Order: sequence, then structure tokens, then C-alpha cells
Amino acid sequence: MGIEKFIFYIFSVLLIASASMVITVRNPVKAALFLVLAFFASAVLWLLIKAEFLAIVLVLVYVGAVMVLFLFVVMMLDINIERMRAGFIRYLPLGILVALTMAGMLIWVVSGDGSAFNHSVLHGPSYSNTQALGLVLYTNYVYPFEIAAVILLVAIIAAITLTLRRRPNTKHQKPAEQIAVKRHDRVRMVKMKAEERK
Amino acid sequence: MIEWITSLLSFLPSGWVTVIIILIKIVVIVLPLMLAVAYLTYAERKIIGAMQVRLGPTRVGWNGSLQPIADALKLMFKEIIIPAKASKFLFLLAPLLLIGPALAAWAVIPFDAQMVLANVNAGLLYVLAITSIGVYGVIIAGWASNSKYALLGAMRSAAQIVSYEIAMGFALVGVLMAAGSLNFGDIVRGQEGYGFVSWYMWPLLPLFVIYFISGVAETNRAPFDMAEGESEIVAGFHVEYSGMPFAVFFLAEYANMILISALASVMFLGGWLSPLAGLLPDSVFEIPLLGPLLGSGIHWFFIKIAVFLFFFLWFRATFPRYRYDQIMRLGWKVFIPITIVWLLVLGIAILAGLPPWFSAA
Amino acid sequence: MPELSDYLILGAILFSLSIAGIFLNRKNVIIILMSIELMLLAVNMNFIAFSHFLNNIEGQVFVFFILTVAAAEAAIGLAILVVLFRNRRSINVEELDTLKG
Repeated sequence: MGIEKFIFYIFSVLLIASASMVITVRNPVKAALFLVLAFFASAVLWLLIKAEFLAIVLVLVYVGAVMVLFLFVVMMLDINIERMRAGFIRYLPLGILVALTMAGMLIWVVSGDGSAFNHSVLHGPSYSNTQALGLVLYTNYVYPFEIAAVILLVAIIAAITLTLRRRPNTKHQKPAEQIAVKRHDRVRMVKMKAEERK
Repeated sequence: MIEWITSLLSFLPSGWVTVIIILIKIVVIVLPLMLAVAYLTYAERKIIGAMQVRLGPTRVGWNGSLQPIADALKLMFKEIIIPAKASKFLFLLAPLLLIGPALAAWAVIPFDAQMVLANVNAGLLYVLAITSIGVYGVIIAGWASNSKYALLGAMRSAAQIVSYEIAMGFALVGVLMAAGSLNFGDIVRGQEGYGFVSWYMWPLLPLFVIYFISGVAETNRAPFDMAEGESEIVAGFHVEYSGMPFAVFFLAEYANMILISALASVMFLGGWLSPLAGLLPDSVFEIPLLGPLLGSGIHWFFIKIAVFLFFFLWFRATFPRYRYDQIMRLGWKVFIPITIVWLLVLGIAILAGLPPWFSAA
Repeated sequence: MPELSDYLILGAILFSLSIAGIFLNRKNVIIILMSIELMLLAVNMNFIAFSHFLNNIEGQVFVFFILTVAAAEAAIGLAILVVLFRNRRSINVEELDTLKG
């Protein structure tokens, strides 16, 4: 067994173990952390087959941004874990059955002698996966690329408009206004004649 | 040196020898780094002391020079207190998650023309990805402590780090455009030519400033230390930590400072390049003793790092802490628009072949 | 070197696990969202494996687009979740039946 196969098996086991923990663990925060571990393991597996750009992007985008967002939301929401778990045991046999059937069928389809499909090429050290991807992305796929950018823009706007709320009833300071205050906002000069005390 | 180790270990299979040599290289990088971190704390206390017209540590060793070692010993022998309802594994994992990325990112940073642990093609992306992991240390520390101040600190820090990562990423895109490569060695070599004039800090000046300020925000240093905010949320995410785990948080913060400084000097100040190389006649660099000192070399890299570190300390001594909404406004409404506009300007400059930086291409 | 079928089997197992996740946690929107992320990961795994073993970079282009769309999906999904929690004080799927006839 070569070192690559060894690494593959270690991280596959890690990936499957953490994926199973994601779907079974009680606490959603821990589920999110296990999902982070799953992303890491798959990034290593992608590195193993020379998809270095996507492996790093997976860590950068998913681990660095999307999962932080998940954790942020999960930690801020006050969720009743016990009620969420209701029905877990009831659906467990069905879930296992479906998963096993699905996995069995898929494995039956894809397993077999894979060596016939191996057309992979070993590139030299000067080969850059990022460059190769960019060359295709900015030529053949330039319109899908632009559409993806628009989708992201729409997602930003949608997320902001959904969650933005102004609560008019809360009492809070506006420090900017406090700092910007001028003398005439606070003090009124009154001209009057001195009055005689009676 | 490497040949000597190889011959010494010749009884092992060749794969193992490579692994051992890499391990030795890692130790050679990490040990001085840890020492530098320890003495950065000393430098901080001395420099900020001088700025505030006081002395700083003076008792331990000559002029207090053994103070960091005394501090380390003290923290090592303190009891590690784990809060009663804390998640123990995550509580202890958090400091490691913070310091791990700060050290792992050094793998791709070139110290010299040849001196780099891993000369990978996608070095810039690697650093961006690795440094984005650090936020988990803060979040997990805040959550696992089971304390409201720690959670508040973690929430502030998560939002802040994610926000500033965008501005930082855009600044790095500018470097990538200028150099045309993700490899740090190539990025430095792209800044060769007319000494300090050829450095990328001039064509990328707004990106350079934004990168460094975002770096200060990413490391949770003053004036962006909302996550700690010792005067409002009593030290934030690491309020429940004591002893060695606390020391690791401390180490991670300073290691991150050094990392950000090193990255800034590699990407914007030409790394190991001398500011005079290419400006003075070649004969100057052949003078014994003075010539190598003025020429490019690892010492310039260290000098540049030291300058950036001084800025970190200077900021801390000078600026009051930002308010939370001000931090968010600065990140989203000021930095990100500026970087996007400057990327456009940069694209035009590169297409026009603006000398001396982009004329060769 | 691991072979193509190794990666495909791994993708299949991952996909089945995420389907089981949706079955088991059918009340918890957050875990359902995470299961969807896992599913997309399994699909991406297959795309990248095919891309490498058939020596065709376009598989990786598709993964790039899937990552983009999935990130957008996660952002909007979580935004909806937050609004849901604000209005109903719960994220239980069973309680979201006001539109039921």
C-alpha cells in the first residue's frame, strides 16, 4: 500500500466518521464543528488528486466563512434541543434502511475495476492547477462565471433585506449625534432686560 | 548541513530521511519564532513604557531582560482551571486551534531566495485559507467556556474577523494581479529592480494600508480589540482561561502579529530584497563586510518585520478602542469599496504597463 | 494511488449519510441545511474525481460553480432561519404549518 492510499483511507474514515457525527450528535454547535472537520478531510482528499485550488477554496470559503456563519446563527438562537430530537429514535430504522439501500445501490454501480478509467496525467512542478482552471473559467465559461457573480450579489441583497430590521421602540444612544452637537442645539441665548427684584 | 544530516541518517529508508529533514526545518523555524514571541512581549512593555514616560519591567535580569522567561515559568506552574459546565475537550482545543494556523502559515513564507520550507505554487491562497481557520479558536473558546462574557467576545470577534477577511482578501488579490503569481518567491522576485522604488507598496499603496489595518483587526489588537475589551467585557473570549492555555492564547496573538508583519513585508516591501539593490552601483555591494550588509539578504526581511511590529505596538499605545459599529462601518463601508476601486485602477495600470513596476510584462 | 472507484464509493457513502441525516433530523432546520451541504460535498467529490481521472479540467469548473451557489444558498437559508426564529420563537419544521389548508 503506497503512502497516498494510506492517506486516502485515513482521511476517508475521518470524513465518514465526522459526517455521521454531524447527523447524530445532540448539540447543533457540535454538529457544525463536525461539519468543519468533514470539510477539512475532504480538502485533504481533493489535494490528493491534485485539485489544489478547489481544496484551498473549500477551506477558505466553507471553513472560513460559511461555517462561521452557521456557528454564529446556531449559537445565537435559543433552541430547545430536546424537542428537536423528538422522533429521532422513531425514524432511525427508516433512516438506516434508506441510507443502506442508497449506499448499496450506488456502490454496486460505481465499484469495479477502476483502472480502465485512469487517464490521469502527472504534471511537472511548474504546472499550476489555479492557472489551468482560470484559463478555462475566463474563456469557455465566462458567462456562467458572470452569472455566478450575479447570484452572489442577489444572495447578499436577499440576506440583508431578510434580516435587517429597525426597532423603533428601543432606547439607545446615538453617539454620532452626541458628538456632532453644536452649541446652538443645546443653549439658547436669551436677550432680556435685567429685572428689578421685588 | 542537509548533506551532513542525510549521511548521518543513511541507514534509514530515503523517505524517512526526507521526513526527518522537514521536521528539523520546522523546528528551526518554530523555535526562534517562539523566542521572538517571548521577546516581543518584552519589547511591547518596554516600548509602550517609553511612550508613556515610564520604565517598563526592570527587575528580572539586566534591565528586565529575563522578564518574558519569568512570565512563562509563572504561567506554566499555574493551575489550569476548567469551568464546571464547560465542554472540556473543546475548552482545551481552542487555544491550539488559534496557535496552530499562526505557526502553519510560516511553511510558505520565504526568508531568503532559497530559504523556504515549502515552495508551493498556491502559497498566497494557502496563507489566506490557513489564517481564516484562526477564528475557530476564538469562537470555540467563547462557546466552550459557558460564560456570557466569553460568548459575547466570541460573537464580536467572529463578526469582526469575517468582515475584515474580505478587505484583506481583496488586498491580496491586488498583490496577485501585480505579481501574476501565487508563489511568494515569485512575488518577491517581481519587486526586484530599482531598490525600494520597485516595491509593490507604491502602486498598491491603498491596498497596503488596508492590508495592514485589516491585519491589526484580524489579530484582535488595539484599537480593534473588541473581542477582548478588558474594560467592558473583562477580557472577552479568554476570560475563563488560566495558566498554560491562557499562555497559549497570548503566544498565538503575538505569533499572529509576527505573521502579519512577515506577510506584509513579503508582499509589499520586497521581503529579503535590499532597499538599495539596483540603485547603488554594483561595486558597492562587493566591499567586504559593508557590501553584504547593504545587499539583499535575510537581515532586511527581519528589519522590515521589526518595523511593522513597532507599528503594532505604536497603535496600541496611541489609539483608543473603536466602538463595535464603527469597526463594522470601517470594514464594510470604507475598506471594501476602496479596495474594489483600486483593483480597477490597478488593472488599468497593468494593462498600460506603468513603469517601473509593470513595464516588463 | 487511490483509484476512481475509491472516490466514487466515498462519495456514495457520504451522500447516503446526508440523506439519512435529513430523515433522522426532520424537525431541525439547521441540521437539514448541514445535510444539504454534505450532499453537495459528496457531489463535488465525484466531480473532482472524474476531473482528475479523465484528465479534464471542466469537472473542477463545475465544482467551482457548485461552491458559489452553495455559499449563496447557505447565506439565504440562514437568513430565512433567523427571520423564522424571530417570528415564531422556534425552528421546528412541524410548527411551520400556517399555510396548510
